[in-house]
Amino acid sequence: MGTTFDRRLFVVWLVLVGITLAYVGLDHSLGGGTTLSASAAVTVGAIGLALVKVRIIMREFMEVRHAPPLLRRLTDLLVVVMAIAMIGAYAAGRTLG
Amino acid sequence: MTGGDGRSDPKRELWLAWYATVAFYSLYAVVFFVVTRTQPPGKPWYGPVEVAAWFSGHHRGLLVGFALIFVLGGLSATSIALITYSIRRMSVSRAFAYSYLILYAIAAVPGFLFICVAMTVGAMRPGRDPAVLRWLYDLGFLSFSGTMGVFLVGSLIWMTAILLDQNRVFPKWFGYMNLCNALTEVVVAPSWIFHGGALAWNGTIAWWINVVVFGLYTGVFITLLRRMILREDFGRGPLPDLAPTMSGPGEAAAEVAAA
Amino acid sequence: MTSAGGGTAVAAATGPATGSGHVPGQPDMWFFVVFESLIFTSYFCVYLFHRARHEGAFLQGQSHLVLWLGVLDTVVLLTSSWAVARCVQHARAGRHRPALRAAVLTAACGLAFLALKLVEWARLIHMGRTFTSSEFFQFYFFLTGIHLVHLLIGFVVLGVLVRRLSDRERPSQQAVETCATYWHTVDFFWVLIFALLYVVR
Repeated sequence: MGTTFDRRLFVVWLVLVGITLAYVGLDHSLGGGTTLSASAAVTVGAIGLALVKVRIIMREFMEVRHAPPLLRRLTDLLVVVMAIAMIGAYAAGRTLG
Repeated sequence: MTGGDGRSDPKRELWLAWYATVAFYSLYAVVFFVVTRTQPPGKPWYGPVEVAAWFSGHHRGLLVGFALIFVLGGLSATSIALITYSIRRMSVSRAFAYSYLILYAIAAVPGFLFICVAMTVGAMRPGRDPAVLRWLYDLGFLSFSGTMGVFLVGSLIWMTAILLDQNRVFPKWFGYMNLCNALTEVVVAPSWIFHGGALAWNGTIAWWINVVVFGLYTGVFITLLRRMILREDFGRGPLPDLAPTMSGPGEAAAEVAAA
Repeated sequence: MTSAGGGTAVAAATGPATGSGHVPGQPDMWFFVVFESLIFTSYFCVYLFHRARHEGAFLQGQSHLVLWLGVLDTVVLLTSSWAVARCVQHARAGRHRPALRAAVLTAACGLAFLALKLVEWARLIHMGRTFTSSEFFQFYFFLTGIHLVHLLIGFVVLGVLVRRLSDRERPSQQAVETCATYWHTVDFFWVLIFALLYVVR
């Protein structure tokens, strides 16, 4: 690919893979293996990290970065709505459980 | 707007079909949700005793509501016909229109009429054996939700036609909405397996979310069919956009932008 | 990741200038992206709600999943997204052959994901964990299943992309971008599903 190689896109990929590997760290912080315990912190953290990745995918891979402001704001709003909905559902489940 | 030779407005017939479609869906909503209260559906985990209680609780609603459907249910044909017409107006092969027509005409029997028949049979003789009532209950609800496959393929046919169409009968985003609708039909498939939970025939996912999507989808296509009729020029080429005076300036701008 | 100063020179060579206001692909496809995302979000909310109410049972089921397989799945799809993004860049610059190669790489990653998923399912079913064995697995198979359907549709979409790429008569950058946009949804839905099924506690 020589001179046409897009460094930025490759770095984005590295960052995304890095965040994915960070999940393993998150998992081990609870002592992975056979004993699993519930953790709101891990749940919210995992969802948050996932949404960070989603936004990166949209901005960089899906080229929303170059899109009109309306689309940029719409996709950001989507990510925010997803965050609120998911964390809200989880919180609701915990309080009503 | 009149046609030549003093003939009555050719669009009048299309409008008749459109109003009949609106009437049908309104009837459908009122009968199923209010009169018979078969939607939201009864619980799948009910034993024969609970089912017998359900039937006696819904007795009159079932008989009255479904009697209405038996008389007026034929109106559903106008909805199918209008959609078929819209596909014929497209630049794609007429095979799409015919396939859609056949599929939906057939789908109406298990997907729509079975529940009417099953529930009416159940309600007809209140002293019936609860085990038999439960059989009818299962048949009714499962056939209503579980025969989604035909509707799924129908949605995909409409979607493909819209995406290939060069006459701009429908906006492309509606083509994709057909895909969303088709996928929600897939989601209902597990209702054959589960007696409870989110994927049962009354579940949060298989019923509630599905109904929201289906409701939006229906509202959208009824609106788009109306726009199609307004724009119809009875030609074979691309449908003209709505003139600014017939719709708001915002709509016209969106139409141009989407073209 | 906000558009910081650094990469604009590279971006100019391979893409439209930042803030140029170019909508990637058909705007209509973005309707699908948003609408389908909202539908998936509602599924995720149902899952999270049920999970929070039966933490123990869900943790039990989750312990049978292999995190590394999930990580591998994710990396494979991230790579496929990277590949299809490269395809769009190549196509835009008129580099037909590299674009085609990138599209093939995308499909290959998709197939790899499919294979991994089937292996994972087979393993679980062999262990006795099926669609109906517990609430967790009901959601697991449902979410991964509906995602797989999206992936399979993605193969059809890639087919359309390749056809439009190869069509010298009516070249359409927009069609290529539209197909790529669809493919990216397959990727980011998985990113979310992975976090929810494999990591969330």
